[in-house]
Amino acid sequence: MTSQTLTLDLRDDIRQGREPFSKIMSAAAGLQAGDQLLLIAPFEPVPLFGVLERQGFTHQAERTPSGDWQVAFKRQSTGTPASAGLIPDLEHKCTAEVVEVDARGLEPPQPLVKILEAIAGLGLGAELKARTDRRPMHLYAHLDERGFSAETQEQPDGTFLTHVRRS
Amino acid sequence: MSADLKSSLVNPAVSKPPLGTHAPSVALPLGFVLSGLLSLGFGVGWLVLRPSLLATYHYNQYVIALTHLFVLGWISSVVMGAMYQLVPVALETKLYSEKLARVQFACHLVGFVGMVWMFRVWNMKQVGHFGCVLGLGVALFVYNIARTLRRVPKWNVTATAVAAALFWIGFTVTAGLCVAAGKCAYDSNTGFATEGGVPLVVDGLRALGAFMARFDAISAMHAHAHLGGVGFFTMLIVGVSYKLIPMFTLSELRSKTRATASIVLLNIGLAGSFTTILLRSPWKPAFALVVMTALGLYGWELAAILNARKRRSLDWGIKYFLTAVVLLFPLSGLAVVLAWPGLPLNTFTGQLENVYGFLGLVGVVSLAILGMLYKIIPFLVWFGRYSPHIGRAKVPALADLYSTRLQAFGYWSFLAGLGVTCAATLVSSEAFVRMGAILLALAVATLALNVGAMLTHLIKPRLEPLGAPSNPAKSTNRSELTGAKTASPLSPSPISKPA
Repeated sequence: MTSQTLTLDLRDDIRQGREPFSKIMSAAAGLQAGDQLLLIAPFEPVPLFGVLERQGFTHQAERTPSGDWQVAFKRQSTGTPASAGLIPDLEHKCTAEVVEVDARGLEPPQPLVKILEAIAGLGLGAELKARTDRRPMHLYAHLDERGFSAETQEQPDGTFLTHVRRS
Repeated sequence: MSADLKSSLVNPAVSKPPLGTHAPSVALPLGFVLSGLLSLGFGVGWLVLRPSLLATYHYNQYVIALTHLFVLGWISSVVMGAMYQLVPVALETKLYSEKLARVQFACHLVGFVGMVWMFRVWNMKQVGHFGCVLGLGVALFVYNIARTLRRVPKWNVTATAVAAALFWIGFTVTAGLCVAAGKCAYDSNTGFATEGGVPLVVDGLRALGAFMARFDAISAMHAHAHLGGVGFFTMLIVGVSYKLIPMFTLSELRSKTRATASIVLLNIGLAGSFTTILLRSPWKPAFALVVMTALGLYGWELAAILNARKRRSLDWGIKYFLTAVVLLFPLSGLAVVLAWPGLPLNTFTGQLENVYGFLGLVGVVSLAILGMLYKIIPFLVWFGRYSPHIGRAKVPALADLYSTRLQAFGYWSFLAGLGVTCAATLVSSEAFVRMGAILLALAVATLALNVGAMLTHLIKPRLEPLGAPSNPAKSTNRSELTGAKTASPLSPSPISKPA
């Protein structure tokens, strides 16, 4: 299987104030094992390293002469159940992973949007912990539809903590 | 006992999604809201064509018909539809039965259309019949919301207000039916009236009619109006806003005691007002002052909530609402004046009563509802059409669904129309009432255009693939890549545009 390299130049997007996270995640989702995602950004996208690592990517970052950053993300495994056994390290990482989303202090429907988008990027076996000001009534039906289940606990400070995992 | 219930009893702090995960239907609240908007359009149009309805004293069949079009067709439709939508939000539980709500919708439509028509031709018997259909709908509404209240995980001041409102709407409908019964003649004893149990019912109604004759007809009408206007509409506006205003402005309730006191006093004031109005007692102003105090506490709490808000800019929906709250104060003042014992009964005070009714129903209640509609309808459309696509495609922001410029224009046109109509009513000028009504109609037109814009999203959703460039002007969050705290990593933050 020939491996491909997908290049995403984000410099213009970022300069225009556009949010490229979705572009990156959907590009990453389309890659097979052995494929590469080459990102060009005006700064070192450190938070991405962890996010994509959880999806099974290694990274190699280098600074270009122009001062921009070029990061090569290489997919090690597609993360499907069939290949999970081959890479025990990554599998172990996946099942222990908990993503935290703070959706407090946001006007509706932002908490809903923030949580659902975080779920879109959730790896297999990963869990999501979402904090909200109110019980997220509108969330449950959407989670159900996307194949997730949730449990909400009220916190002592009056906010709510919802655990989301794949059902 | 279901597994859910068991686990919540074992550990009440942990709860699985309450009562199933089905998304609440958006069609139901939308249906109510659209009926309301149609009624509003009709009502304002009617006033444009017949300005004499306000320019002369209000005790005639046309004014009563128009008033019921406003309070039942417009306001009640929207309030009930909104309640079905807001229950999960305000009370953090699921509506008891959507099916009952749909049946109620049918009763409501048949009921209010029939009533308005029959008021207009002054057929009180048919008003009674259609009133019973409406009443059945209201009974279903009360039952549905009451059963829902029983499931509320944490009782709060909003739940108290909703409970009180349920009592008062039940009482309003009952009182209305009694007033209608009092205006009927019970002298037919042929044909249908002699069959089966009908004579019993007729006898009962005759007795009721005789009882109602003890009261002055106009006082009974005024008492009935206050039950609805204060007990149902105002109670809900106050109670639900204690939940919604903090939610939309990113603030919180500052003093539970003050909020609760406002609701308690509102109830006491209304109970007293109803009785003193009905009996034409000199204690009327005292209870008007109790209501005024309750509203003063409400205003104070609202000011505290706004003071503590994290979202400094107020969008137009909130501005509409807050203007309505401000108008509560001249309205209460007018109430105290009109309640004054020994107030002379002349053309001027008659017109003052018209202004009072108009300011209350249009200036306060309608304006408050218009503000909330600008929050509710976009959310309904967005939730119904776009929320399933979050994370899978680029969805528009709430503010993209309508035009804020139109909304702002509508605000000023509405206020101008309100002012002109009130002044014109006071001096009995038909020409200026018409002018005021036209300005109001313009405001309603801006709302209609905006609602049309929102609804086109239902028919033709505007979805883009993920990664498509977003409009930089709408984005208010910082990049997720920099690791900085962000409102949303993907779509532009779906909050309303600041005014």
